[in-house]
Amino acid sequence: MNKNRFLKQLKKELPGWMEQGWVRPGADQAILEQVGQRAESASFLSVAFAILGVLLLGSGVITFFAANWGVMPKIVKLGLLLGGLWLAFAVAGYLLRDDRAPHLGQAAVLLGVILFGANIMLIAQIYHIDSHYPNGVLLWSLGGLAVAWLLRSQPALIAAIALAVLWTGMESFGFQRQMHGWFLPLWLAFLPLIYRMRWKPALHVAMIGLLLWSFFCFESLRSPLFVVQVYFLAYLALFLLGLIMDSYERWSYFAVPVQRYSLVAALVSFYALTFPHLQFGYLFLHGTNIRPGVATAWLAATSILLVLVAVLVLWHRQRFRGQKNPLWLLWGQALVAAGIVLITVNLFIGVRYANLMAIGFNLLMFAGVVWLILAGSHLGDRFFVNTAFFFFALTVMSRYFDTFWSLMNRSFFFMAGGVLLIGGGIFLERKRRKLTRQITSRRGEGGGL
Amino acid sequence: MKISVRIVITCVILTLPLVGMIARKQWTLETGTAVLLETQPVDPRSLFRGDYVRLNYIVSDLDLEKLAGDLEFTRYDDVYVVLTEAERYWEARAVYQRRPQLAENQVALKGKVKYVQTSRWNPETKKSEPVKSIHVTYGIENYFVPEGEGRGLERPPAGSKVEMLMAVDRFGQAGIKAVLVNGEERYRETLF
Repeated sequence: MNKNRFLKQLKKELPGWMEQGWVRPGADQAILEQVGQRAESASFLSVAFAILGVLLLGSGVITFFAANWGVMPKIVKLGLLLGGLWLAFAVAGYLLRDDRAPHLGQAAVLLGVILFGANIMLIAQIYHIDSHYPNGVLLWSLGGLAVAWLLRSQPALIAAIALAVLWTGMESFGFQRQMHGWFLPLWLAFLPLIYRMRWKPALHVAMIGLLLWSFFCFESLRSPLFVVQVYFLAYLALFLLGLIMDSYERWSYFAVPVQRYSLVAALVSFYALTFPHLQFGYLFLHGTNIRPGVATAWLAATSILLVLVAVLVLWHRQRFRGQKNPLWLLWGQALVAAGIVLITVNLFIGVRYANLMAIGFNLLMFAGVVWLILAGSHLGDRFFVNTAFFFFALTVMSRYFDTFWSLMNRSFFFMAGGVLLIGGGIFLERKRRKLTRQITSRRGEGGGL
Repeated sequence: MKISVRIVITCVILTLPLVGMIARKQWTLETGTAVLLETQPVDPRSLFRGDYVRLNYIVSDLDLEKLAGDLEFTRYDDVYVVLTEAERYWEARAVYQRRPQLAENQVALKGKVKYVQTSRWNPETKKSEPVKSIHVTYGIENYFVPEGEGRGLERPPAGSKVEMLMAVDRFGQAGIKAVLVNGEERYRETLF
């Protein structure tokens, strides 16, 4: 039987089986997810081939018309463009009906979304419409989102998210937006569908899109110190949200990607704060050496995020109320409190104390990394442990370069650096392997972590 | 909802903005005031891109000190350039940040400041002199022509003159109605 039909059948049968008592209540969702995942993985090749075929067909059609574009009257061009778009969706509808060929159907939906973009560009060309060009990409993305909602298409949603990122990149780099905030409402509009349909690949793309948007904004802003603080707090808040999501049954499915992407982004931001250069106000892009005063907008953003982080910590505590608070949780709460104090102080002090602040951020970075190893080992998450080891090594090497570059003879500097790299690398790798092995073996035993 | 219904809704939703793009442009061309603009050679460093012509107008570069209206502009600001019909071409008379009240024989062309120039090199005195000018784009700088016909329009041979007949609607949006070479119509825009 077709796997999707089997899944559909299963969906119909499960409520009856639960009534009979053959399946315990709540287990139906787990069964459907497992069967659904198997169906997805088994058909990966067919999906990949279908999408490749669609892309080839699409490019072939576009190239053919491009070669003959000049000789066609406008009405023929319009007919071809709109006809092609409707045909793609008609084919998609035929294939999706009664699950005739769902993967091919999704590929046809994707072709429809691609053709919609081609239509925007080509109609603009035919009618000499030359407006603010990122708007064309925004329209394309919104079209993709509408298609994803109407046809329940994950490929269309992924295309819409990628186009939204392209749009914000164009606005940020092409038009020097101070901060292209309009991306955020659009990004949020992608989430309900991801949640409703439980689309994890789309969630991954959305998280990557959010990270890229942060990077674009950072590139176009001129006060990196306070921006980096805001980024750290925002991604810390998202990480805490990921931990909270894990404690709710209906959200836990999405918790791991949210935790991991936000953890990496928060660590990258905090790692930047450990640099004395940044604390002194050195603008990486603009070469100024004066620590700027905090602008009202950044002060407001930081304050709001500090409150949000505190609220999320309390929410997380509340979720664990009644249980014996393990060490990693208490330690984590203390670290967040220390971070809040340090960031608040950093908003108001002058350049005189910049070195002191850098030392504070370094100490907190090392404490945070050790906490992450503890948390990873408690939660059985090897990703936490590996990430912690990576950032530990990175911060040590960075401080080595900062501190000894000007103090030591260059040859000693490189020799000592080499020894540190080899020795430290072996030591850290042994520790990392030991910990990840412990996590794997505990998982295998099915023991509590 | 049945899949066939959803497909129809999808096609309608995606077709509407495409038709809207055409309708908006056509509305400008049908209802707008006809304005003849003089072109000038494009920056010689710009590359000719296939069957795509880049156009530069006399009203693209505006010396703010010689025009009425506002003096302070920054990059990417919206501008309204008041044009008045002169002997043959329409010429810029004033520049504003907001849409101004217009006299009977005037139109306000809406554009975006591409860059602001505050100094200019004078090759005679070999010194940089302060100026206050802006370069404005109006969304009428690109024109698509059949393959191989672009270069003659973008850089016309000596003695040839390329003029653009525009339509400017009451919101300041402009559309190219026709391309004239030496006073003769070479291309005319139609709906189909």
